[in-house]
Parts: sequence; C-alpha cells; structure tokens
Amino acid sequence: MTAELRLERVIDAPPDVVFEAFTTPGGQVAFYGADDPGWVVQSRCDLRVGGLWTVTFGPSPDRLFQHRSVFEVIERPRRIVLATTEFHPDRPSFDFSVEFRFEEQAGQTRMTVIQSGFPTAELRDEHGRGVPSAFTRLERAIRSSR
Amino acid sequence: MQHNGKLDRTFFALSDPTRRRILERLAHGPATIGELAEPFGLTLNGLKKHVVILEGVGLVVTEKVGRARECRLGPAQLENATGWIDGYRRVLERRLGRFGAYVEERR
Repeated sequence: MTAELRLERVIDAPPDVVFEAFTTPGGQVAFYGADDPGWVVQSRCDLRVGGLWTVTFGPSPDRLFQHRSVFEVIERPRRIVLATTEFHPDRPSFDFSVEFRFEEQAGQTRMTVIQSGFPTAELRDEHGRGVPSAFTRLERAIRSSR
Repeated sequence: MQHNGKLDRTFFALSDPTRRRILERLAHGPATIGELAEPFGLTLNGLKKHVVILEGVGLVVTEKVGRARECRLGPAQLENATGWIDGYRRVLERRLGRFGAYVEERR
C-alpha cells in the first residue's frame, strides 16, 4: 500500500483556459474557497520554477491553514508539480508532493491531482517546530492588510 | 498542540518501500523472517529491524514456530491512516469541484 491520492475531474474548457485559471488569483481562490460566511482565502503566486505559491485559507482569521508550495515543474498548459508544506493550527506541519495534469479530451480538460509523500514522523516533528512563528507572522500580515 | 503519536508511527512504518513490500508479501500469507529476508537481499537482522517497526504499530504480529519466527499481518490496521487520507480525498474533491465550476461559469 502506498499513501497516494489521485482524483480527476473533467472541466468543460480547453487546457490552456484551465491552466490559466489555476495559476491566477481567481481560480486559486475558487480552489481553496468555501461557502461558509467569513471564509478567508489569500493567494500569492510566483509562477516560475523555484517560485513560491502561498495560500492562506480557513474559516476565520483566528483559524488559518497555509499551503506553501515551490513550483518544481511547470509545463504550460499540461502539468505542474509542487513541493508543498501544509501548516495546520492543531498539528505539526508536514510536506507532500502534488502533481496537477491538464489533459485535452475532445475540447475539454481532464484535470488530475496526484498527491503523494504523506508525512513521516520525522518530517512532521521537524516542521512542527516552525509552526507557531509561521502563524504569528500570518496573522500579523492579514491584520495589516485589512 | 495535538499530536497523534500512533498515526505518526503508522505513517513512518509505511514510509519505507521495503516495509510496504513486506506487508504486500504478508497479505498473501504468513512467512518466516528468513523467507522474507531472502527476496530483499537483506540479512536476518536487517529484516528483523523492519519487522519490529511494523510490529510496534500492530501492522504485523510475530510468533515463534520451532526455530523460526513467523510473521503475519496484524489485527491493528490502517483504519487510522486511511481515515486521515480519506479526509484529504474529500477536501480535494471539493476543491476540484469548486474550481471546475468556477472555470465553466466564466466561459
């Protein structure tokens, strides 16, 4: 057994449109959004190999999650590979790898997400030490931007 | 900060490809340490270290049978780990759904 998640969805738009939406704020906010009133989403994305994509999201400014991802592969408009660290208010952070594929299929796009590399105890412990300060910085940034 | 030690240890146990292959092998039936070690090219002691980690989280149980130690899949299971991954799956499904709807509505 390997800890890997693979999901897909066919989207009624060509890959270049889907890729463009996924790499710009509107689509990123939709991806990390929710219908709950007061839901917070902020996305900052430096779309280049080695660039950082930071998404802060959560039900309220008091309870926020963050994904910090480095772009490892960008093949416009077919594929993106990210090395992501998830910061969570209740548990140590951890790293995983995510691949997004955008495949053309009769004018539509089959978008596949493959998430792998679920945490080992070491990774979680190591990154857990950085969590409180990361959240303090995050809260400060959100307060100052309101 | 909450810390689910058992879950961490289960993920750690599963994070190694040799240990995952041991579990796959044991899914087909019990085997002795020696029988497990041979296909991996590991020494008995090397293989034993992996089995101890798997045994520690209940994924494997061992029992002395004559001069050999027999291993089989343990009663404890992956419910904890799989429950965690299932939660992730639901979150990702929701994100893909929202994102797809966003792209389609804009056209």
